[in-house]
Amino acid sequence: MISTRFVLKRLLLLVPVLVGVASLVFAVLHLSPGDPALTIAGERASEEFVQQVRESLGLNDPIWVQYGRFLANAAQFEFGESFIIQRNTSVREVLTNKLPVTLELAIYGQLIGIFLGIPLGILSAVKQDSFTDHTTRIGALAGISVPIFWSGPLLILLFAQTLGWLPTSGRISVLYNVEAIRVTGLVTVDTLLAGEWEMFVSAARHMILPASVIGIYSMALISRMMRSSMLEVIRQDYMRTARAKGQGAKITVLKHGFRNAMIPVITVIGIQFGGLLGGAVLTETVFAIGGIGTLLVEAIKVGDYPIVQGTVLTFAFLFTLVNLGVDITYSILDPRIEQ
Amino acid sequence: MSQDGNNVSRRRFLSAAGTAAATAALAGCTGGGNGDETTTEGGNGGGDATETETEGGDGGDDGSPQVLRYGRGSHSPTLDFQNSTSGEVAKVTEQLYDTLINFEPGQSTLTQGLATEYSLEGQTASITLREGVTFHNGEEFTAEDFVATYRRFVDSDYEYYGGDDYVSAYGPFTLGAWIDEIQVDGDYSMTIQLTQTYAPFLRNLAMFAAAVHSKAAIEELGTDLNKNPVGTGPFQLENLDDANELIRLSANTDYWGDGPNVDEVVFVTIGQNSTRAQSLASGELDIIDGLGAQSSIQVENASNADLVRTEGINIGYMAFNMASREEFRDKRVRQAVSYAINTEAIVNEIYSGFATQASQPLPPNVLGHNTDLDPYPYDPEQARSLLEEAGYGDGFSFELATFQNPRGYNPSPIQTAETVASNLGDVGIEVDINQQSFGPFLEYTAQGRHDACFLGWYTDNADPDNFMYVLLHPQVEEDQLTDGQDWVSFDTEGYNTSNRSAWANQEYMDLVEQGQSTYDESERESLYFEANQIAHDEAPWVYLDYADELRGVSTRVSGFQIAAISGPYLNLVTLE
Repeated sequence: MISTRFVLKRLLLLVPVLVGVASLVFAVLHLSPGDPALTIAGERASEEFVQQVRESLGLNDPIWVQYGRFLANAAQFEFGESFIIQRNTSVREVLTNKLPVTLELAIYGQLIGIFLGIPLGILSAVKQDSFTDHTTRIGALAGISVPIFWSGPLLILLFAQTLGWLPTSGRISVLYNVEAIRVTGLVTVDTLLAGEWEMFVSAARHMILPASVIGIYSMALISRMMRSSMLEVIRQDYMRTARAKGQGAKITVLKHGFRNAMIPVITVIGIQFGGLLGGAVLTETVFAIGGIGTLLVEAIKVGDYPIVQGTVLTFAFLFTLVNLGVDITYSILDPRIEQ
Repeated sequence: MSQDGNNVSRRRFLSAAGTAAATAALAGCTGGGNGDETTTEGGNGGGDATETETEGGDGGDDGSPQVLRYGRGSHSPTLDFQNSTSGEVAKVTEQLYDTLINFEPGQSTLTQGLATEYSLEGQTASITLREGVTFHNGEEFTAEDFVATYRRFVDSDYEYYGGDDYVSAYGPFTLGAWIDEIQVDGDYSMTIQLTQTYAPFLRNLAMFAAAVHSKAAIEELGTDLNKNPVGTGPFQLENLDDANELIRLSANTDYWGDGPNVDEVVFVTIGQNSTRAQSLASGELDIIDGLGAQSSIQVENASNADLVRTEGINIGYMAFNMASREEFRDKRVRQAVSYAINTEAIVNEIYSGFATQASQPLPPNVLGHNTDLDPYPYDPEQARSLLEEAGYGDGFSFELATFQNPRGYNPSPIQTAETVASNLGDVGIEVDINQQSFGPFLEYTAQGRHDACFLGWYTDNADPDNFMYVLLHPQVEEDQLTDGQDWVSFDTEGYNTSNRSAWANQEYMDLVEQGQSTYDESERESLYFEANQIAHDEAPWVYLDYADELRGVSTRVSGFQIAAISGPYLNLVTLE
């Protein structure tokens, strides 16, 4: 069982991490060149106009005042209004819009990775040095090596343009007004909740290519990790003992081996999923799915400080939460870890 | 602008077409970080609908709505034209709102909008408004709406003023600085008193930023208008989907003007140019804009789309900072550099022919563009002899500041800078390239810290003053100028930092000031002819290019009018 104390201790550890990240983001943004007031005002603005903007945003205040204000607001998850990307819209609203986009892609991508990667890894380990093993390993290597900005357009070219089976980009056909049925922000879920079958099919078809691109990469990593971890476990004494007691090979691997081999795999899945929550920027870009990653890159490019701060902190928060989830999973798989 | 510029340039691509669609598509994507990025300026595009249509995009015949899908590179940061200077904002607000005066579709001439009569005499503009126009909220349009809109934009004493962190710089730039007072004479008549005689004023009224809000909506919604637009335009907002970066508009059946001919318009955001072009080719979009060279080739290769182009009203240039470098104060050095840079190669090779060589500050299709002037030819010999004459035969070195991201008028800034460096290296001038992202770059150069820099300009109102006065006039008081010196320091009081050259040529300034206050068109034209001649000879800039406007348009679209200013005129579009 997981003790509350264990979880609380981990949760408390989040605080210094988040304060550290917040301070770092603040420092980096304020040390980097570029004046947000000038960016907002644009090329047509007079110096007087830029000064007005600077004043109204509090950018003339001493840096420690700005820092204090930022930390106090960040503690309430309040980052002010976007400067440029969504003019005068609260960062919280922007993130609420964008987070489900990223979350949906990450979930489907990771699910594909897990459901393909784990069985392939096990198969590869059990049949070490066989044809299956070599094929899987080469496949995995290719999966890791092929960059998404190459495989993405190639898939679009094949499945969307040449064969015409799947759409090229976006999350759902633009003919459907998915905003009107928004509940969770996950289009595949919202369309089902609304009972809109045709819309669901459109959303699912749009998800196939981007989720596969992420899934293939994820599968490659997971299967490699699963294979090596399982190979180690297979050679353990308790495995031999189980076999010696007369237990079948399959049962031994799946019952005794699997659970123990999963610990490093969970780590990989956790890190990967955490990373995906920060946005699969390349995939989002290629398939025109504007999630949190694209938002962050865009915000950095145009100097939208509130969005950068809000996004990075959200990302840090989610990442640490995923790590907490990983830790909890560890302790379920191996209760000794909790100690 | 000339309609014969709207040619579809298939021939130009014959050689490139041989590389097949796959190569083009892949090159487009892998080049993503460079020249194929989205530019915020520029136009719309065309698209195509293929046989392999994956989504039902048609509609109409079976009673389902006809939906026009317009693909572009960035989502609108706001739906309020007073809230941003971005061209992306204008594309949508032009559908939702009307201005008093319009640009003729595809032209730079003016025509009636919400005003049926307009005139400018001395410092007085008289305007008669159209009767019987209603806003999307059912309110009738009157002069009071214009006054409330104006005050919301520039008058900080007004109860419904947008706020300093809300209103865009277009408030003072196009209206506030020139308007002294607005007198309302009944519901449909207004007299606007200007602060000075100002020839571009009526053109400023045609800009997207001078559109008209409903007074009732201003009072009811305040700054929430940036998500809930209430205009008089051909389309009204159906749904703003920031999560999916879609904007859905529906036809305003009570529209006073032409069209609309489709039931709905959806603005779709696809950041990557190549993906956007592929979406057009697979029939998921009807019109696309923001095309780079590679994605234009994709559109060309699509069987069901056309690449439509026209001359843009813009300029890309390299400015010499005369305030910071003594060498650049010698006209012969500036001319030498102009001769030494192979702008023809830059335009044809680096910009893939989607631009023309520039010869003067004013692009074609704007009053006062001097057709007698030719671009500086590539002539290193002439450059060397001019440098010799000026006493710089042994060369010198300078820093060239450039932005990194492509802009419409300079789609490959780094490559252009490298070409300039290489060309100048041939005549003994060493160039040190200083590349920065656009925000910091603007700040750096506005402070005059550069030796030379790239920059460019897209017109606001297609008036010569918008280039000649805005970009090359120092705008300082007379007593700040030194006799016999044709430059000023960047820290001079009131200095116009858009003049990145620090150029202050008295003769040019006099002509441009006269042009600003002269209302007779032919007289104005000759003033700008002369001013352009001076700017060409004195060479405060190296004139690089005028970039074309490119759109990808599906063959199922008809009536689409490519426009270098204002638009897109989606109310005129019909779908098959």
